[in-house]
Amino acid sequence: MRRASSALLCLALLLILAGCAPQARTATVFAMDTVMELTAYGDKACVDEAVSLIHALEARLSVTAADSDIARVNSSGGGEIDPETAALLKRALELCKLTGGALDVTVYPLVRAWGFTTGAYRVPGDDEIGALLEKVDYAAVRVEETAVSLPAGAMLDLGAVAKGWTGDEIAALWREAGVKSGLINLGGNVQTVGGKPDGSDWVVGIRDPFSEDVMGAVSVRDLAVVTSGGYQRYFEQDGVRWCHIIDPVTGRPADKGLASVTVIGPEGVLCDGLSTALYVMGPEAAVRLWRENAGFDLVLVTAGGEVTVTEGLEGRFTPMGAYTDKEIKVMRRG
Amino acid sequence: MDVKRIARDAVLTAAALTIFIVELQIPAPAPIPGVKLGLANIVTLTALFTLGPWDALAVLLCRVVLGAAFAGNMAALLYSLTGGLLALAAAALMRRLLTERQIWVASVFSAMAHNFGQLLAAVLVTATPALFTWLPVLLISGTVTGLFTGLAGQFAVRRLGKYLRHTHGK
Amino acid sequence: MAKTGTWIAVIAVILLLSVAASLFLFLRPAAGQTAEIYVDGALYRRVDLGALAAPERIEIRTERGVNVLLAEPGRIRVESADCPDKVCVEAGWLEDSAAPIVCLPHRVVVRLTGGTALDAEAG
Repeated sequence: MRRASSALLCLALLLILAGCAPQARTATVFAMDTVMELTAYGDKACVDEAVSLIHALEARLSVTAADSDIARVNSSGGGEIDPETAALLKRALELCKLTGGALDVTVYPLVRAWGFTTGAYRVPGDDEIGALLEKVDYAAVRVEETAVSLPAGAMLDLGAVAKGWTGDEIAALWREAGVKSGLINLGGNVQTVGGKPDGSDWVVGIRDPFSEDVMGAVSVRDLAVVTSGGYQRYFEQDGVRWCHIIDPVTGRPADKGLASVTVIGPEGVLCDGLSTALYVMGPEAAVRLWRENAGFDLVLVTAGGEVTVTEGLEGRFTPMGAYTDKEIKVMRRG
Repeated sequence: MDVKRIARDAVLTAAALTIFIVELQIPAPAPIPGVKLGLANIVTLTALFTLGPWDALAVLLCRVVLGAAFAGNMAALLYSLTGGLLALAAAALMRRLLTERQIWVASVFSAMAHNFGQLLAAVLVTATPALFTWLPVLLISGTVTGLFTGLAGQFAVRRLGKYLRHTHGK
Repeated sequence: MAKTGTWIAVIAVILLLSVAASLFLFLRPAAGQTAEIYVDGALYRRVDLGALAAPERIEIRTERGVNVLLAEPGRIRVESADCPDKVCVEAGWLEDSAAPIVCLPHRVVVRLTGGTALDAEAG
């Protein structure tokens, strides 16, 4: 009897000890026009360093702050930039090429014309759009080491990839510091490090483009989850809704039949850039690009509310709310 | 299969079914799936210890299938079948280890096996391993109900054994 | 043939362990205030009971039958069901137990889990 009770005691102790996890360190940062929440299970220094990193990146990448790398290049048509900004720019240009220009880092003049940078929304005339479109061409951007040059009148904006890149940088920083479990939520642009402290996967909800609820959740570890959709920012004029994602080909808000695109993969900057680009491209072209490239999975919600997920998410994606009864189409590479 | 054996097993099945239907009227002692008295097991136990495993199996299968149909709960068939078969297997394995005054021991383990089998089926069907939370409770309830049905079965074997065996195998 | 006393001892040990485990499992407060509803093993819905302002009725209709759940701030129960055994209804309120409410005939499971339902929301 004594043996049994001591065995029980050991079991109880073991369970209590197993319940002890490294302490959660958190920080909330207002940067890049959004609220960022960082959670790391580990050293307090990790979170502090991540916060400094966010501010440093914002200072270099902001398109509105006068002395950022990007603003300097935009005002003078070129110049020397920080090596890290250059690395991001190069990666962004690769993504522009990969998406056939559906992502274009030079679309900024049009975004500004539509008022999405300032909030002074308006619908530009056809002539104005046509004239501005001539300045849009990512292929004309030259990067040599840290020297950038732009054609006259062209402007850079890394807004479509900056948060994804930031997530990657923080994740790399934390992994190097030995953090086994971390969650980086850069205003809905989510990057995970490892799994949860209890060993299970992080559960990341995906916003329903048609309501305030979530449409489903994906369980992930060491992956980024980034969603783009017209619902995130838009204005209405004369009964027409104009969203903030500008199609670099037409110069007008993208309208190819998608309500939102979620890209899930290990590289945050890729997920970030692709979510925007695939939204511009539309459902068929998005699936085609997925078939031809590895390294990411998709959750597509069409304007009609149909949901398509790619095969890597099978068993990881759970529809929720109004989507539980819907048919979820699974795309396969084969 | 001889007529005597069919008739005898049918009588046992009828008895088991009657007990089963009567038990349905008794409210479950706890709102936990699987917790119930399992009085019909008295008959299975009696059949096992007087007639052997094959007759017990026949009685069990007929009772479980007909019982689910009579109770209008075909959804429960899978659980009671898994539980019932596992329970019978446990009791049959223990039969050789026990004297006639220890039949209740087989019944206790048989009841535990029954509850474990039901739970396993439930976990597989609902794909919810969290249901195993109920296992300790079901083991306790199995011990208590198994003890009760076991003593009843032991009594039945002592009183009815010779009549049942009389019709056996000849 | 083992002595009856030996068998009693074996059964007593199992019983004792089960009682200890039950106490541990059921007296332990549930990890959190989020109810997860599973149908057929798949997550059907998560309800953050802590964030619930008003009671909400959730009707689960499958080919097997209907369960009507009632979620209130801090607790949830199966209000009615057309299953044969009604075990799920008799289970009553689930508010701080780690043990789930189960409707086996309809393959519905309601359990409480930790913290908020989602760790983060993309979008």
